[in-house]
Amino acid sequence: MPELQNSGIFGPRVIEEIQSKAESGLYSIRGFGTLRERRWPTFDDLTFLPCTLTRIPLEGYREKCSTKTVLGTRFAKKPIQLDIPVMITGMSWGALSYNAKVALAKGAAAAGSSNTTGDGGMLKAERENSRTLIYEVLPSRYGINIHHMRMADAIELTIGQGAKPGTGGLLLGSKVSDRIAEQRDLPIGVDQRSAARHPDFLGPDDMIIKVEELREATDWQVPIFIKLGASRVYDDVKLAAKAGADVIVVDGMEGGTGASPAIFQEHTGLPTLAAVCEARSALQDIGLYGDVQLIIAGGIRDGVDAAKAMALGADACYIGTASLIALNCNKPIYEDDYRALGAAPHACHHCHTGRCPVGITTQDPELMKRLDIDEGAERVRNLLQVMTLEIQMLARSCGKSDVHHLEPEDMAALTLEASAICGIPLVGTRKVFGH
Amino acid sequence: MAEIDASERSTREINAAMRQFIAQSCKEITVRNPGARHNLAVAILQEAHIRIAGSVGYYCAGLIDGASIEIEGSAGWGLAESMLRGTVRVHGSAGSGAAAAIRGGTVVIHGDAAARLGVSMKGGTVLVAGNCGYMAGFMAQKGTLIVCGDAGEAFADSMYATVCYVGGKIANLGTDAVIAPMDSAEVEQLEKILSTHLPAALRSAKPSALDFKKVVAGRKLWNFDKREWRIWQEAL
Repeated sequence: MPELQNSGIFGPRVIEEIQSKAESGLYSIRGFGTLRERRWPTFDDLTFLPCTLTRIPLEGYREKCSTKTVLGTRFAKKPIQLDIPVMITGMSWGALSYNAKVALAKGAAAAGSSNTTGDGGMLKAERENSRTLIYEVLPSRYGINIHHMRMADAIELTIGQGAKPGTGGLLLGSKVSDRIAEQRDLPIGVDQRSAARHPDFLGPDDMIIKVEELREATDWQVPIFIKLGASRVYDDVKLAAKAGADVIVVDGMEGGTGASPAIFQEHTGLPTLAAVCEARSALQDIGLYGDVQLIIAGGIRDGVDAAKAMALGADACYIGTASLIALNCNKPIYEDDYRALGAAPHACHHCHTGRCPVGITTQDPELMKRLDIDEGAERVRNLLQVMTLEIQMLARSCGKSDVHHLEPEDMAALTLEASAICGIPLVGTRKVFGH
Repeated sequence: MAEIDASERSTREINAAMRQFIAQSCKEITVRNPGARHNLAVAILQEAHIRIAGSVGYYCAGLIDGASIEIEGSAGWGLAESMLRGTVRVHGSAGSGAAAAIRGGTVVIHGDAAARLGVSMKGGTVLVAGNCGYMAGFMAQKGTLIVCGDAGEAFADSMYATVCYVGGKIANLGTDAVIAPMDSAEVEQLEKILSTHLPAALRSAKPSALDFKKVVAGRKLWNFDKREWRIWQEAL
């Protein structure tokens, strides 16, 4: 019997996808983020070069290495001051359960960090349990409330998201419960598609006026962030800086989502590694590097990714999916419920269904009970603290007394592509390729 | 009654002066020489009456809660955007995105409104005595949108539960927008809104409430349905 062979073009997964479209009449919608094998340049393509003879390391477990992070020093009267450079990104109450939102707020506060609201507005309990809360102003304006905005420590004007730049959010009807519908002023059970464009401005020149409005609304007290899905990052970052942003957030294509067409997650945007390099270059070229702070997001998994992003120019990092994994996302518990979804632990991307087996991405009260707020908060705090320790360990080994002193020279590239993108030498050479 | 001369002051100073007067319990404020400046009377959160003697730029009365803002000229983009409660009246015309994302309150425009009137509105009432541009009511969620004159193209596109009324011609309806019958209670309610909010001379020049057309969502975009492929193809 000759060996059977799958097509390299029409492999089993492609055949399944085509037949699924043919049967359902719909394109694939799911949550989580890109599932592609990582064949593009990533932070894994860089390695740190700790001190040897040419530089002197700090004692790894003893000497001070500051992690204090100040964001919003350009125009805001009250920049935000965090104990650590790892922050929780915006995720909506709607995509996430009440318990998940409150656990993230408590966990971030316990670690001395911040958390961010999301599409759908602010939860009272979220504010009460946050130390530093960032209020997102999104194109949909769901739940927008000036009183909540004025309770925030920073405002984030969101233009796009890394998992799906150029399109709005999705919240399928199974998650538009009575409470979520009320919060968002929507009919119960609709498949809610958020706007891709802001309703009251279109281009970067109008955005200058919008930023001024947000400053007037908050008495020029708090920083204004502008968040971009990583697309034409070099130009977008310049425009955001010109619009008066105190802080620019760039979210790479590895970023997660509660729901979106799968093609966006797989085939749009720039990898986070490339995004941070373009963003830094843009700020340097307009002379605002350091004056406008840079936050990088999109698939940050641990302190190593965060440290590499910071060495390349970020002042801080957002985590999203990693914080949900800390809350038990994809953990092998309630395995029958994963199977009922057609998923399995470690391979569940079914946030869009509202049937999250571990109570994170659901509005079902029974499922939500599976996430204990205090236990979840403790795990989020632990993750944030461990990530910070990892950043510090790497920084000390590179001789830095402050994690913000990490720089491109502390690393070498393991691939030609990473060398060209990051502008740092390829290992085994002293050449920066492509420059 | 307090007066603020805007001509020699920054936007920040003008808004700060408004807040200061309101904090001192002065609830009648006139702003002179506004010079079509942007971001006037943003986030006024008290029940004060602010009269702006001239035209304003973008986002006038944006993010207010409870104030009454009267503009004795025309307004730029994003008039009253994201308002929670209050009243905003424009004696002239308004630019694009008037009443965008409002969650309550009333916006009255004596002249015309440009594109995307009431876009993403989540409540409240929007009343335009003249005509409106394209995509009025786009993605509107709740509340009432009334246009006494003609409506531009793609009217009421992709709406949820907002109810629209048009006194003149509609260039064409947007995706999933449908004409619906009006019952007598609705006609009465509409007439009440028109006569309450429009000056008598302006009201008398407009059609009778009976002659308005009601436009609502056909609800074919509310949930994904492969049987509605053609309408989704248009919408997505």
